[in-house]
Amino acid sequence: MSSEHIIRSYDEELAKLSRTIVEMGGRAESQLALAIEAVTTRDSELAARVVEGDAAVDQLERDLDNLAIRLLALRQPMARDLREIFAALKVASDLERMCDYAANIAKRSIALNRTPPIQPVGALPRMARLAQLMVKDVLDAYVAHDADKAIAVWMRDEELDEMYSSLFRELLTYMMEDPRNISASTHLLFMAKNIERIGDHATNIAENVYYLVHGTPLSETRPKGDKSSLEVVTPTRESG
Amino acid sequence: MAPAPEPGVIPAQLASPLAGLANRSSEAAAREKVLIRDLSFYYGSFQALHGITAPLYDKCVTAFIGPSGCGKSTLLRVLNRIYELYPGQRASGEVLIDGENILRPGLDLNRLRARIGMVFQKPTPFPMSIFDNVAFGIRLYERLPRSELSDRVEWALRRAALWEEVKDKLKQSGHSLSGGQQQRLCIARAIAVEPEILLLDEPASALDPISTQRIEELIAELKSDYCVVIVTHNMQQAARSSDYTAFMYLGRLVEFDETERLFTRPRDKRTEDYITGRFG
Repeated sequence: MSSEHIIRSYDEELAKLSRTIVEMGGRAESQLALAIEAVTTRDSELAARVVEGDAAVDQLERDLDNLAIRLLALRQPMARDLREIFAALKVASDLERMCDYAANIAKRSIALNRTPPIQPVGALPRMARLAQLMVKDVLDAYVAHDADKAIAVWMRDEELDEMYSSLFRELLTYMMEDPRNISASTHLLFMAKNIERIGDHATNIAENVYYLVHGTPLSETRPKGDKSSLEVVTPTRESG
Repeated sequence: MAPAPEPGVIPAQLASPLAGLANRSSEAAAREKVLIRDLSFYYGSFQALHGITAPLYDKCVTAFIGPSGCGKSTLLRVLNRIYELYPGQRASGEVLIDGENILRPGLDLNRLRARIGMVFQKPTPFPMSIFDNVAFGIRLYERLPRSELSDRVEWALRRAALWEEVKDKLKQSGHSLSGGQQQRLCIARAIAVEPEILLLDEPASALDPISTQRIEELIAELKSDYCVVIVTHNMQQAARSSDYTAFMYLGRLVEFDETERLFTRPRDKRTEDYITGRFG
C-alpha cells in the first residue's frame, strides 16, 4: 500500500495546493522583512513597493480557493485528503492576512517618515524577527505534516505577546513624556500590533497543522502573554 | 476458549476492528438487531471469511465496503443462508438475530427468509404481472383474503415509491418496467412479506444516477422500519446512505465504525488507503 493515489493527477493537484501555500508563506516572510526594513531605513519608496506587492498575494489566495473547490467537487476527497484541502484553505486565509498586516506596516511607515525618528523604533525589528521565524517554522511543519513542530511554534507566541505588551507600555510612557511623540508612537503601536497579529495567525496555522495530522482539533488553551488589554499606565512626577 | 459471551456483548479479544464503538451507550446496544460472531465461510476448501464479528443495528443502514473479492457479498449471503442452495459451501461461527443463532441446524429456512428480504444487483422481476410479483411471497407465507392481499400489495408498492407509476398497469409484466422501476419492484416484493431485515447487494450498481438517487432516498425512508444492510462498491453511496460502515479486505473485517467517523478519521491505515483511493 503506497502513499500515492492510484490516479496520479490527484496527487499532482494536491502537490500544487501545497506549493501555493509555500509560495504564499515565502511572500509573507519577505513582505514582513521588507516592511520592517522600510521602517528602520525610513525608505518610503520601498514601503510603496511592499504595499503594491500585496495584490499578488491576494491573487494567490484566489487561485488556491479555486483549486480547492475544484478538488472538493471533482475528487470527493475523504479522510486525510479532505483535511489537507480544508487545512490549505484555512492556512491560505491566515497567510493572506499576514501579508495584509505587513503591507499595513509599510503603509504606516510612509506616514512615520514624515515625523522625526523616535527611539522605540528599535524594538520593532526584534519583534518582527521573532514573528518571521514563527512563520517560517510553522510552514516547515505544514509541509512536513509535523504536528509536534507546529505545537512548538504555537508555544512561542507567548514570547511575542510579551514583547508587544512591553512595547505597549514603553510607547504609552513615551507619549506621556512629550505630546509631540504621539503621532509617531501611535503609528508604531499599530505596527507592533500588526506584528503581534501575524504571530497569532501563525498559531492558527499551527492549530490547522495539528488538525491535519491528527484529525482532531487542538483542545488546549494557548498561553497568552499579551496583557496590554489590561494595561493602564499613569503618569508620575518623576518620569522623563 | 473463553466462555460464550452474553448476547449483545462483543468479546474484547475480537473487538479491535470495532474499537470505534467502544463508547456505545447501553441505549444504542439495545438496538442491536443482528450480531455476527466469529463467522467464517468456506467455498469448498477456500476460506472466504475469517472470523468476522460485527453488530448490525436496528432502524439503521449498515454498509459493507471493500475491494472485489473481499467477502462482502459472501457475508450477505450467510445472513439469510441463501448459500445453502449451493453444495460445498459452509459457514462456522454464529449469526444471532434477536439473540437467536440462525446458523443452527434445524432452523426453519423459509421462515428465516421471510424475516430477511434480499435485493440483488441485477433487478430480478419474476416473469409475471407486477401485482403477482409483489403478491408471490405473501401467498407463499400467508393466507390472506383477496382484499387484504391487494391492500398489502398496494402498501408495499407505495412504500417502495413505485405505486403512482404502476397503479394503472398492475396486470402488465414486471419486465415492462425500466431498470430503476424493476429494482423498486424487487424492493416492494421484499418488503411485502413484512421482513425485519433488508439485505441489498449493490442495489443501484446497474442503475443510472437519477434512479440511484431514488433508491438511496427510498433506503433513507425504509430504515425507519427495518435493519438495512447494503453491500456496495460505491464508496460515496456508502458515505451518503449509511449510518455505519464496515470495511472488509481479503475476507477479514478491518474496521467498523459510524460512517461519519470512518470516512473522516479512519483508525486503520488500510481503511484510509482504500477510501482515499491509494489502493483498491
